[in-house]
Amino acid sequence: MRRCLIIEDDIENAQYVANGLRELGWSVAVCRDGVDAIGRAVEEAWDLIILDRMLPNDLDGLSILRTLRSLGRKTPVVVLSALAATDERVRGLKAGCDDYLTKPFAFSELAARIEAVVRRSQPDEGVREMRVADMRVDLIARSVERAGRSIALQPREFRLLAYLLAHQGRVVTRTMLLESVWDYRFDPQTNVIDVHISRLRSKIDKDATVPLIHTVRGVGYMLSPALTTRELTE
Amino acid sequence: MTGVLARWWSSIAFRQALIFGALVVFTMTVLLAVFYVQTVGVWQRRVDSQIETTTQRLVDYDRRSGSPALGAHINALLGDGIDSDTEVYTLVAADGHLVAGNLAVTPDITTPTRSISEHSVLRAGRASQSRLSVTALSDGSTLIVGRDMQDLHELEKLIRGAIASGALVTLVMAVAGALVFRRQLERRIGTIRETAAQIERGDLAQRVPISAQQDEFARLSRDINAMLDRIHGLMEGVRHVSNTIAHNIRTPLSRVLARLYTAQNASNRAEALPEAVGFAIAEIQDLNIVFDKLLRIAEVESGARRQTFSAVSLNEIAINALELYDAVAEAKGLTLTHTLDAGPSVSGDGDLLANAVANLIDNAIKYTPNGGTVHVGTRREGPSVTLTVRDNGRGIPEEERARVGTRFYRLDRAVPGWGLGLASVMAIARLHGGSLQLADAGPGLIARLVLPATGA
Repeated sequence: MRRCLIIEDDIENAQYVANGLRELGWSVAVCRDGVDAIGRAVEEAWDLIILDRMLPNDLDGLSILRTLRSLGRKTPVVVLSALAATDERVRGLKAGCDDYLTKPFAFSELAARIEAVVRRSQPDEGVREMRVADMRVDLIARSVERAGRSIALQPREFRLLAYLLAHQGRVVTRTMLLESVWDYRFDPQTNVIDVHISRLRSKIDKDATVPLIHTVRGVGYMLSPALTTRELTE
Repeated sequence: MTGVLARWWSSIAFRQALIFGALVVFTMTVLLAVFYVQTVGVWQRRVDSQIETTTQRLVDYDRRSGSPALGAHINALLGDGIDSDTEVYTLVAADGHLVAGNLAVTPDITTPTRSISEHSVLRAGRASQSRLSVTALSDGSTLIVGRDMQDLHELEKLIRGAIASGALVTLVMAVAGALVFRRQLERRIGTIRETAAQIERGDLAQRVPISAQQDEFARLSRDINAMLDRIHGLMEGVRHVSNTIAHNIRTPLSRVLARLYTAQNASNRAEALPEAVGFAIAEIQDLNIVFDKLLRIAEVESGARRQTFSAVSLNEIAINALELYDAVAEAKGLTLTHTLDAGPSVSGDGDLLANAVANLIDNAIKYTPNGGTVHVGTRREGPSVTLTVRDNGRGIPEEERARVGTRFYRLDRAVPGWGLGLASVMAIARLHGGSLQLADAGPGLIARLVLPATGA
């Protein structure tokens, strides 16, 4: 069972995240005190640490993160903070967090990001080609084939597909796509991502018996050959 | 007393005036001292040289004609009526009796001296201060030549008195001047301080009264008033902003509460609650977006992000945004075209500029009906780079254009949005030292983001 340490002083928020993670099959420990948290984060082995920034006694969660990184621990850390300004975010990433999410957030967004972060810590580099059902994607030649038929994609569409592929079987949110495919760190008002997905879908899934790109209502999208009902729930 | 002094001393006007007064007193003293030495000293030296000359003449006379003749000559000199008030001539024989002259003979004046010196004598029966030259003649008699200094001493006394009273008057004037100066300065500064105190108490409408004199204080008062006008304007702006923010945040909050209370008290609670919760979630998510956007505008307006400016290509930003919006435009049946000039880069924040450009394109797409065209162009125009988004939608009426940049101002409430897009674009433009210009495209709108070019 994967183990997660939540360092958060607000009980309501901590319980919300803990319950959600338990439902996803995580074993969760919550630590509300910053000083205890440093000890637990360093002494025990975790698969994930979720860290709040403003802790009691004016302790910045980032100092825990820095301690951890200075000891050479590569444990994935997701920072949750009400400090949303760009420089705060940059400070968090510089301190060594794997993702920085601002409060308030939907649990689905956090879950998607956690999956991305936890998988990223087990990199599978050197992959040239990926296959999903009857789709074959050549990552070097940047070509796509479905059921033996070649599909022409624009460069940006290919990047979108590649990102979905890299996270196949997992939900990716619209914000994640905006950040990684367009390098946008803000939300455009219009649902631009939805339109791009539907365009990509029309090229990939058209005439196919099994659709590969699925909409996860209220959360985002997932690329998967087959979908279980659990994954579709919010 | 020391308290009063300390209070006076703490006044810069008093200190300045006093220092100035002290300088005047010092200058006066030096001036009068020089004058004194020049007059009294010179006169004394002249008297001495006259005495020497006369002595020499009489000694020569004695050598030529003998002392009886000299006695007669002295009597003649004393009787000629010239300088009779001041002249001193006396010839004393070797045996000590007076041959001729106007001094009462005493032993101390018949002792020959080398130099001319001052003595208290009886001249023509009256006590007198005289400078005397005492010379022993060849036959043993003594010649005394001198000058009564009484008048000179009177003059000396007069000059000293003048110096003393002059210095005293100057000193008194300096102190009095310092007090007057202080009071005047205090009065002028007092009006400014009074206004400042009223403003501190919260009456921001107060202004410093400007005196008729066009002096430094009038200019200072005008500067202060201009500053107060600016602060007043800013405060009004802040009040307006916080009012609209309060309105735009409280309204959805009360909507949410109303819906939740209603559902809680409804008879068909089980059915009403899920719907109310869904409504609440949607509203709160919206609120969160509004809050986030407001904070971002505030962050931009604070200017903090200027620290991380770097060279940014406006064309790259435009291409990125075009590739983001082409799908939306296509889906809405719009034509999205572009002409990108080989414009130079601008110094700025890439994320913010991307945000601004995306906002402008987003707006254009939102307000342009099906079949319309949105055109994005970049151009270098002299020292600035311009990114233009032109649409052929309904545009913005002239009279509304000035207001569209205000937070929460929305042209059409039927179109989804928060009324923060253009406000944020304007803030971003200002941060970069540029501006957002809106013009009529007849029909449609031209939004021009003008930014200073780097390396121009």
